Amino acid sequence: MKVPEKYYDEVFNFAGQWDMPSACGLKIIIKNDKSYVIVTELYQENPGTSVTYAAESLYRQIIEAKGLKAENVCYIECNPDTNSKLSFYDEEYFEVTFVPDEAPKYRQLDHTEIRNILG
Amino acid sequence: MKLKLIYPKWKKLPGQTTFNLPPHGPVVFAATLPEYVDVSFTDENVEEIDWDEECDVVAISMMLTTQVKRGWAIADKYRAKGIPVMFGGISTMLHAEETLQHADSIFLGEAEGRQEQVFQDLQNGQLKKVYNYMGKQPPIELVGPARRDLYKRELYNHKGVQMVDLYHASRGCRFSCYPCAVSYLGGRCFRPRPIDKAIADLESIDNNRLFIVDNSLAQNKQWEMDLFREMIPLKKKWISHTIEDDPQVLDLAAQAGAWYVYQAVYDTSDYIKERVKRYHDYGIGVEGTILFGLDNQTEDDILRLIDFLLKIDLDLAEFTILAPFPHTKAYDDLLRQGRIFDKDWDHYNAGQVVYQPKHMSPERLQELYEYAWKAFYQDETQEEKMFKLFTNVMLREMEDGTYRPRNRKLANKTFGQDVDRSKSHFNAF
Repeated sequence: MKVPEKYYDEVFNFAGQWDMPSACGLKIIIKNDKSYVIVTELYQENPGTSVTYAAESLYRQIIEAKGLKAENVCYIECNPDTNSKLSFYDEEYFEVTFVPDEAPKYRQLDHTEIRNILG
Repeated sequence: MKLKLIYPKWKKLPGQTTFNLPPHGPVVFAATLPEYVDVSFTDENVEEIDWDEECDVVAISMMLTTQVKRGWAIADKYRAKGIPVMFGGISTMLHAEETLQHADSIFLGEAEGRQEQVFQDLQNGQLKKVYNYMGKQPPIELVGPARRDLYKRELYNHKGVQMVDLYHASRGCRFSCYPCAVSYLGGRCFRPRPIDKAIADLESIDNNRLFIVDNSLAQNKQWEMDLFREMIPLKKKWISHTIEDDPQVLDLAAQAGAWYVYQAVYDTSDYIKERVKRYHDYGIGVEGTILFGLDNQTEDDILRLIDFLLKIDLDLAEFTILAPFPHTKAYDDLLRQGRIFDKDWDHYNAGQVVYQPKHMSPERLQELYEYAWKAFYQDETQEEKMFKLFTNVMLREMEDGTYRPRNRKLANKTFGQDVDRSKSHFNAF
């Protein structure tokens, strides 16, 4: 279940829950003064916490490591297609919004929105 | 120092057998304790907690998500009495933040080589709130024989028949299966125990019948074959999860005493049918494990699967409903999609729907799950099918001279309680 490299430009190492060494795929696309940060779950290549479970902690680590301005960031989680027989390993993208003291809010992006972002 | 080790009880599912197996995690943990720690063990599934027993510290070992709320309640009661409480085990790791609210200390990760420090800290009044060894697995060579001497054996006995002992030959898993958190907990690589250590542990078990609880032995063929080869002289009889689908491995497994295996049945393909047949060709029984509620299952798919099960000569079948345990892909997916509607951990028992299925209502999925149990065991009850498997192992034991007659002194006891002869359950045994 290897994640195809087309989903990311680099592997981003981060501190997961309980500081577990963790890794995700990372792609940052800058368009019209907006930074689209796309994190991709790597499954077997991720020794620690998933991108969904890491949530805001991962978001903050990327913002800091890459020197991005939070107000300009659109944060997206990618569930990559791993060529699995199981349909729920199909490609999906979710825009994630973090609101203080609340659970993260997820909105699934449709194909057109994804195409517009990935260009 | 006196440590009271507790394994909290949980509510059994209506369709589940009433057998209680001696739990593995607590005795593996107990084997890692410094010598000066005097342990007493209570498995609340088979005996009441003696709240008045004197102890310096309580350790609560939790494996299942359905144990956590009971574990927290036990901890609250001891802490109110001023006795410090520590937590460890699989579901402590999965529910660490919540467990922390009920603990003086939580231990995350594998215990080998780390308890001397914990107990020194405790004795010095410097117990840490969190011992965090997540992702830092100790060398697998450090895993020694479990402290099975702590079991009160008569409590794991049904009408004189001793229950199987649990045993593990490896940790970690290289697979990332959808509903499973093992690779998160034990590492995403397979860590087999050295054969000599694994065999020494097996030899120390005073029970001819075992359940090898490893997630999947089919992860390193050479090691798997070496293990089976070394197991042959021990003449143990055992249950396990999947074994490599290879004639050489199956032959060695059969010689090593494979009794029956759990095999996931996820579709109605000829591959599954042939897989079951291949086990049977080597004299190995098969208990199908069937998971309902995946997003690729419609009502028709589930009904077809149930029909299929009736035709492939399974010895037993166990049905479960997907439970989105934390740190699984199932949890991540359902969380993102806003489909989890029940966050009561007592309901995460794999027999209750806690999320919105993709192709049907939660109520319909629940009905199909209940229908599956009824349909599969309609012509022959679970007890009758189990008795056949049991007879099979007894005959093999009689052949190789390892058969131990039932303990007549316990013939009227079931898990420490008097047998209620008015109930039909398991009267065959």
